[in-house]
Amino acid sequence: MELIVSLGIGVLAGCGTWLVLRPRTFQVILGLSLLSYAVNLFIFIMGWVRGGAPPIVAAAASVDASRFADPLPQALVLTAIVISFATTALLLVVLLAARGLTGTDHVDGREPGE
Amino acid sequence: MSAWADHVVVAPIVLPLACGGLMLLLDERRHAAKGVIGLATIVAIGLAAAVLLAQAPVAHIYALGNWPPPFGIVLVADRLAAAMVLLGAVLAFAALAFSLARWQRAAPRFDSLVQFLLAGLNGAFLTGDLFNLFVFFELLLASSYGLALHGAGRMRVRESLHYIVINLVASLFFLVGVSLLYGVTGTLNMADIALRIPQVPAGDRVMVEIGAAVLAMAFLVKAGMWPLGFWLPSTYAAASPPAAALFTILSKVGIYAVLRLWLLLFDAGTGATLLLFGGMATVAYGMSAMLAAQDIARMAGASLLVSSGTLLAAIGAHIPAVTGAALYYLVVSTLGAAALYLLVELIERARAPGANVLAVTAEAFGEAAPEGLPQEPEGAAIPATMGVLGLAFACCALLVAGLPPMPGFLAKFALLSALLAPDPVPGTAWALLALLALSGLAATIAMARAGVRIFWAARLEPRRIHLAEMGPVAALLALCLALTAAAGPVTDYLHDTARGLHAPHGYIGKVLSR
Amino acid sequence: MAIACLAVLASQHPEVAAGEVVRSSFAWMPAFDLAFTLRLDGFAWMFGILVTSIGALVVLYARYYMSDTDPLPRFFAFFLAFMGSMLGVVLSGNLIQLVFFWELTSLFSFLLIGYWHHSAAARDGARMALVITSAGGLCLFAGVLVLGRIAGSYDLDVVLAAADRIRAHDLYVPALVLVLLGAFTKSAQFPFHFWLPQAMAAPTPVSAYLHSAAMVKLGVFLMARLWPALSGTDAWIWIVGTVGLGTLLFGAYTAIFQHDLKGLLAYSTISHLGLITVLLALNSPIATVAAIFHTLNHATFKASLFMAAGIIDHETGTRDMRRLGGLRRAMPITATLAVVAAAAMAGVPLLNGFLSKEMFFAESLAVQGPSRLLNRALPYFATLWGIFSVAYSLRLIHGVFFGAVATDLPRTPREPPRWMRFPVELLVLACLVVGVLPAISIGPLLKVSVRAVLGPQTPAYSLAVWHGITTPLVMSLVAMAGGALLYVLLRRHLAGATQAPPFLPPIEGRSIFDRVLLVVSWRWARGLDSLLGTRKLQPQLRWLLLAALLAAAWPAWRLGLQAGPLPWSTLDPALALVWAVGGACAIGAAVQAKFHRLAALLLAGGAGLVVCLTFVWLSAPDLALTQLLVETVTTVLLLLGLRWLPKRVPFEDTSAGRRAALPRRLRDLAIAAAAGTGMAAIAYAVMTRPLPDNAISRFFLERAHDEGGGTNVVNVIIVDFRGFDTLGEIAVLGAVAVAVYALLRRFRPARESLAPPRARRGQSPAGASEDLKVPAVIMRAVFPATALLSAYLLLRGHNLPGGGFVAGLVLAIGVIVQYMADGARRTEDRLRIRPLNWMGAGLLLAAATGAGSFLVAHPFLTSHTPHVALPLLGEIALPSAFLFDLGVFSLVVGATGLILIALAHQSTRGRWS
Repeated sequence: MELIVSLGIGVLAGCGTWLVLRPRTFQVILGLSLLSYAVNLFIFIMGWVRGGAPPIVAAAASVDASRFADPLPQALVLTAIVISFATTALLLVVLLAARGLTGTDHVDGREPGE
Repeated sequence: MSAWADHVVVAPIVLPLACGGLMLLLDERRHAAKGVIGLATIVAIGLAAAVLLAQAPVAHIYALGNWPPPFGIVLVADRLAAAMVLLGAVLAFAALAFSLARWQRAAPRFDSLVQFLLAGLNGAFLTGDLFNLFVFFELLLASSYGLALHGAGRMRVRESLHYIVINLVASLFFLVGVSLLYGVTGTLNMADIALRIPQVPAGDRVMVEIGAAVLAMAFLVKAGMWPLGFWLPSTYAAASPPAAALFTILSKVGIYAVLRLWLLLFDAGTGATLLLFGGMATVAYGMSAMLAAQDIARMAGASLLVSSGTLLAAIGAHIPAVTGAALYYLVVSTLGAAALYLLVELIERARAPGANVLAVTAEAFGEAAPEGLPQEPEGAAIPATMGVLGLAFACCALLVAGLPPMPGFLAKFALLSALLAPDPVPGTAWALLALLALSGLAATIAMARAGVRIFWAARLEPRRIHLAEMGPVAALLALCLALTAAAGPVTDYLHDTARGLHAPHGYIGKVLSR
Repeated sequence: MAIACLAVLASQHPEVAAGEVVRSSFAWMPAFDLAFTLRLDGFAWMFGILVTSIGALVVLYARYYMSDTDPLPRFFAFFLAFMGSMLGVVLSGNLIQLVFFWELTSLFSFLLIGYWHHSAAARDGARMALVITSAGGLCLFAGVLVLGRIAGSYDLDVVLAAADRIRAHDLYVPALVLVLLGAFTKSAQFPFHFWLPQAMAAPTPVSAYLHSAAMVKLGVFLMARLWPALSGTDAWIWIVGTVGLGTLLFGAYTAIFQHDLKGLLAYSTISHLGLITVLLALNSPIATVAAIFHTLNHATFKASLFMAAGIIDHETGTRDMRRLGGLRRAMPITATLAVVAAAAMAGVPLLNGFLSKEMFFAESLAVQGPSRLLNRALPYFATLWGIFSVAYSLRLIHGVFFGAVATDLPRTPREPPRWMRFPVELLVLACLVVGVLPAISIGPLLKVSVRAVLGPQTPAYSLAVWHGITTPLVMSLVAMAGGALLYVLLRRHLAGATQAPPFLPPIEGRSIFDRVLLVVSWRWARGLDSLLGTRKLQPQLRWLLLAALLAAAWPAWRLGLQAGPLPWSTLDPALALVWAVGGACAIGAAVQAKFHRLAALLLAGGAGLVVCLTFVWLSAPDLALTQLLVETVTTVLLLLGLRWLPKRVPFEDTSAGRRAALPRRLRDLAIAAAAGTGMAAIAYAVMTRPLPDNAISRFFLERAHDEGGGTNVVNVIIVDFRGFDTLGEIAVLGAVAVAVYALLRRFRPARESLAPPRARRGQSPAGASEDLKVPAVIMRAVFPATALLSAYLLLRGHNLPGGGFVAGLVLAIGVIVQYMADGARRTEDRLRIRPLNWMGAGLLLAAATGAGSFLVAHPFLTSHTPHVALPLLGEIALPSAFLFDLGVFSLVVGATGLILIALAHQSTRGRWS
């Protein structure tokens, strides 16, 4: 279980890194979103409790905290997701604009040959 | 925790947010109204900061949502935070006033972005919660992306692309670091983390250090430490002048974070050498970049790198007196760079179109022009344009080179004399002394070259310079001169600030009210 | 102005004469033990008098010298500013303050030399002077820092008092060298002399003041000032002595061969400064007296000579001594004055130059240096110098004022206006008076200043014209004769064109300087810049990732990273399967991204889905929901965006190209692999560790319902416990939306991507409307449903998975679906959306909700939970946090909608424009 998830994180991170280092803007943006998947999972598992229930407490007064998954990382991940969504959108528009203005989709705005 | 006066802590964050939201509701074309609102907000922020600064010794603790720390998010307005907020307000005021002449109209919703940037800035300075720090980092980054793109143009878009990608990766590092620290310590409140790190079992210690290291990378990217800071000169040079002037404090946010967290969470040993040598490398690189720069805008960027490097190295020395001097240097260099960025455009516009040194901005303008950017600002022109510009440029050059009568000289003196104080003087201190002297000389040479070329060699037919544009520059420079004269009280304040930073238990005790 | 300063100084005379030290001091930077101290002792007083009096005279002179076309205000402004900083140096009682003003003098001399900035010579001269002197200034700065460190304070008195400690300290030599570097550069000592002749491009008043009387004297001033603290060691004698001697002879010798009048004066200035330096080097009090005395004398006669040269230049239009001649007829008075001054320079008896020269000769005989050989040689050197100086003085006198009357002068010479000549007259008179009656005229002045420098060890000395037939007298006579002879011999050679003195290696200090400056500060800098830096994105990212990897690896390697104590939990095959797919998707995306963007996009989406599933699996419904929606919206965005990216057909890359790219790819692959394994390892290590039992989240779980007013803890955290984060987060969203909006306003798609209709079909959402009618109908039906759904999610958010953000996304998706169905135009005809208003309102609402708690005197964002009964939904809790969530909702709708619509508009623009 742990092994699978951590391997999954690793694969996502690796592929993301590889793509981020590529010369084409689209590759970069894709790589960034893969990386953010990895990071989101990474944050999330910080508060992972084996067999923990979803953190939706009953109205009952007393709560046995150890029964639930840690809600805080989930909240953090939510924030992180939103932010990475926003920035991805911005990056997309910027790379479109760059494409429009520089006439190429190379990250440096000019083909390596030039 | 109930008097209205207490809410002054949260004002610097909420005011600009609300104001930015309000401006979104306003019609796009009502520039004047927005300008007034924006300036008013900034003044309010400045006042709030001044209030906090006046009651300096008392660090305000503001528990948001009335949840007791470490559970809720707290704002902590100590000396450092107050000073930084004030500095930010000053810069923002100058930049905004400058932009009213023309840049405000270059693209829609400029004012809102400025306000959001301010909110993020102040939030980052004031917050006492690690993840909250991340959020406000993102806020100021997001709005800085917008501002870097302000006015579009080929150069701007290209450089912004680099800027955005690099900072997105850095933000991911930030997240990894924060989550690791949480996973090990189980808390997000900075003071609480500082308390819990010593209790971390030996086996988990490695997690803490990895988290801290990755976190540090995120900050050092912002601070522009070599080799993570190549984006800085290009992006800032390509950005529109008011934006660039605002950005001068962005790189200082990274410094701030390093200063705050490193001194709070760790002792001297960890990372000191990294900061010291990284800083020196940055100074060296910035020096060469300044000499190699073709245009003033890049020179300003390089000077920012130099100042970042100096600050990092000074922090790395881990001596309270040095830190205090470094803070003075921080204030001074930030103001100077901002003034220089604003000046660049005025000089460019005053010069004959033919002899265009500033390829970068020229290209940017070239792209931006068709979009109805008002080229010539209307309004009162000032007499003896070139004379005034020359004087202002000379002042900026002196600031950058750290020569009198500008406070840069005093800052360097304070730094060095504090560095040489310990006995025996460490070799690194000598190296730093030599490096600073060299960088000063390099700046002198580069600036003299540029100044002679621009003001003496070139044939100029002076154009009109908008008073509202010259005003902010002059104000910033005057402020710098005032800092020379009033060096005493200012350095005293910053000295106490540094002492507080180097004795974190005071901070911790206050926040957690133990 | 200058006269006022002079008067003030003069008024201080009685105290100073009484040997007291007038000080006034106030703290400047107490934190760093820096005080602003004005300290007026005899020496400072003498220099002050010198600076102000000559300053006043030169100002008067300049008034007539400058032409009306020059911007006079600027000149006088700089000039007085310079004088002020001079006084600052002279009067400062604190070494740092001294450096402060020292640098200022460099600055203003730069501005004054470059005053006629339309001439290239002036510009270069100014720049050279600035670079050299400010470099020296930095050395001085460093030296002073070291001195202050040794002495424990920067206060002059303290430093002087700590003399013995300083000399004994092992940092003495470095400090000495640094300080002397400052002094030598300023006083144009060999080998830093070459900036001074270049500086002659300045207006003559400037040369007369800065480069004879005032600024160049600062170096010797400094040496004299620190003489008690630094001198008296062999290092001092060797460095100062050799440099001074070299300068002395070199300057005098070169001066003979100058054709330019001012050039001659410049080199003679250099040599006289060298003389003073030598005198200071001798470690004997008497010599120091001579040095101070000569400083005064040189200032008087050299300033007058410069002014005379200026008059000649002004009246004849040239300064070339080969063209000038016989001017004594045209301007007899000026001629006489110049002749007297030149004679003083040559050291003719009954003039002040003679006295100090005699002292020098006497000292050269009495010297007790460390090296016997040098002691022996010094008198001969001194005589040689005398010969040279007589020779060039003769050349000046004879070449300019006597001989054949020059005919081809640009202007016909005549006497200058009365008041232009007046300063010269005054100074020459001074030369005479001092020369004839030294004891009465200059005696007292000299006395106080000497006492101030030497203090107790002030020697007995006599200022008399006639000491009887002594060796010095003989030496001067020899010098006179030899000089005259030399000049006669050299006349033919001097008429020639060459300016380079014979018997000297033709080394041009300034051309060397230029070359070095160019190479170091331009070529090397550029090289270093491109070596250390880059402007490409990929290397930067590579650096960034490498740095992070190393930063993370270092502690892991040092402390060792091993798995935690917990055993493996049961392995779930389904999850394994899912992740097998996920991993495949990710890798596929990585491979495909270059050529098949659509495929890559879908694959990445698949990976995203897997992440969603994992969230469900690991009991995080909120995350799953949000991730799913974000996934959808992002994919839609990217689909909209794909359209403008250039088509990329997989070209069969040549093996050569592949081989070229191979190392880079391998390196990136290594980095990627390292990053992946690193993340995996850390994640694994974390997951096999238990949560810290005192994690703050316990608190949230316990308080969520009772105090947070909701059962969905995550949501309660988001809108209440950590509502501030959310406020910032939605602000981020808003900022981004605004940025996108502003950018797309002026976005121009690339030409080729607008073109062919076949490409457009099915790609542009707007274009869709013609082709897909049936789906359009369905899609239209979808909108109300989505609206309802989003409302539902919003309401239940506080207790069950959902919440403002999710709801907002849903609504935004609904909107964009509308756009897909009807195309931008028709949609906007039907439902008017003003995303910006939504955003603004949302932000304001959220902020207002937070601020609402001010009213009940609680901190920002304190929540209150009134329970209200709604129709249909029954009794629900309506915490203020709900309003906050509503704000979130509104902003998210606005922002997301704005971005999507803006992009959709691009497609329409691409279509219709």
